[in-house]
Amino acid sequence: MKPGSLLARHVAPVPTSRRWLVPMAWFILLLMLSAGMGQLEWLFRLVEPDVREVIYRRAGFFALLGQHVMVVGVASLLAVLLGVGGAIAVTRPAGRDFLPLVSQLASIGQTFPPVAVLALAVPALGFGTLPIVVALLLYGLLPIVRNTLAGIDGIDPDVHEAARGMGMTAGEVLRQVELPLAAPVIIAGIRTSVTVNIATAALGATVGASNLGDPIIAGIVNGNTAYIVQGALLIGLLAITVDSVFERLQPASQA
Amino acid sequence: MIELFDVTKRFGSEVAVDGISLRVETGELCALVGTSGCGKSTTLSMINRLIEHDGGEIHLDGQPVRSFDEVALRRRIGYVIQSTGLFPHWTVARNIGLVPRLLKWPKGRVRERVEELMQLLGLPVAEFADKYPRQLSGGQAQRVGVARALAADPDILLMDEPFGALDPITRETLQHELRELQARLHKTIVFVTHDMDEALALADRLVVMHQGRIVQQGKPIALLHDPVNPFVESLLGGMDRGLKEAALIQVGERMLPLGPRLLASERIAYGASLSQALSVMLWHQVDRLTVVDEEDIPIGELSLRRLLGAKAS
Repeated sequence: MKPGSLLARHVAPVPTSRRWLVPMAWFILLLMLSAGMGQLEWLFRLVEPDVREVIYRRAGFFALLGQHVMVVGVASLLAVLLGVGGAIAVTRPAGRDFLPLVSQLASIGQTFPPVAVLALAVPALGFGTLPIVVALLLYGLLPIVRNTLAGIDGIDPDVHEAARGMGMTAGEVLRQVELPLAAPVIIAGIRTSVTVNIATAALGATVGASNLGDPIIAGIVNGNTAYIVQGALLIGLLAITVDSVFERLQPASQA
Repeated sequence: MIELFDVTKRFGSEVAVDGISLRVETGELCALVGTSGCGKSTTLSMINRLIEHDGGEIHLDGQPVRSFDEVALRRRIGYVIQSTGLFPHWTVARNIGLVPRLLKWPKGRVRERVEELMQLLGLPVAEFADKYPRQLSGGQAQRVGVARALAADPDILLMDEPFGALDPITRETLQHELRELQARLHKTIVFVTHDMDEALALADRLVVMHQGRIVQQGKPIALLHDPVNPFVESLLGGMDRGLKEAALIQVGERMLPLGPRLLASERIAYGASLSQALSVMLWHQVDRLTVVDEEDIPIGELSLRRLLGAKAS
């Protein structure tokens, strides 16, 4: 037994009510700020004393938040399905040959700037939500693929041999041994992917996908720092909320 | 009963197992011994088809292993490996219950069986059932490994250097327990080891392998007496063979009833080995020992001449 090679560390569970206190606090702050941005007019007035309008009003912050969450949600869901699915496929005996190819493709997806993906996607897919979903999907794949591969590869080969030797089918090994043992690492990858994509999704505003990026772009175009701060503030809060949810989801602190 | 007929395994151009034939009778413990890379572990893995053989046939109770579904085959063969391979994310109880659950036993029966096995292997249920493998010592972990292998009550047990990673004292304890377990359960066991003392102590049949072939097989004592070549002789301990043989014989087999003479001052247990008796004689510089039973009551005596195998004292 080599304890260092084991990924799962089981810790005593914190009571559910207390466990979710921090994410709940961030979430409530996010909702309160989305609803009550207007109340902070005096504050933003300090930032931009000279412009007529200091609160972004072209669309409600709630609607923008909802659209933001939806775009990131759809892109991340697809990235998880494709990324985890792909990584599982290439770690099966039948798919091993494609392992280098898939990890390279995922790396390329990450090195390709999302702006460039958007520029290329718009002519093909038109303006709107679709190009930003594609860009986020490609951008978010790498951490998921890489971590799923690392998680599965990191499992002690002896555990694998024992599982097969005991007479588990390939599916039973995957569901009962590989995925649970790799879960902390896989979830860490999804966490990185989603958090980064919450920020990146703001770019969608440039191709007509309205979301929390809108105030930022409008702020840049009109030279209104208050708008930029409002968009950035909500995006940041959303990212922190989601990140703290993932922190609690991680079944065990990883090795 | 396990039978191998002219079984061969190649890895690329390298021949790992070269046409070996072997028959392990039901209820027999067969130890495969040899230096690293002699093909003993490969041979073991071919029986439960973790490695497929290239040539020859392997039969279980007269049926070729290839005729079974490999998953079904493995579920009826217990498997113990050196590193235990316990699932780190499962408790001891869940690890032990693995194969019964795969076989879809009802929950209550799985629990009963797990508790029965934990008792059998000296793991108090209250203390160990909910522990995780990383909380166990090496010896405890391997007890769990053996319990897991026995869970679905397989007729056949394959053990690949199961005690190789343990400290000498724990190893000896577990060897002793395995012997007692085997005396009760009568499994057909194939046991791979490179520790000759372990093989001699446990095996009904000893199979010496070298470079993918079986060099010699037979009862441990027979091999000690008649090694076919210098390789087997040195593997069996060379000049130490006398002591190794003495370690296989109990004092009780050589002792004489108490005579008219005074009791010798030094004592030896009835169940001790002749090598231990010899050691006691050397240590105390005496040539006669009093043999005692479990309650330390004298029941006979052992002289050096008797120990050496002479007919009369």
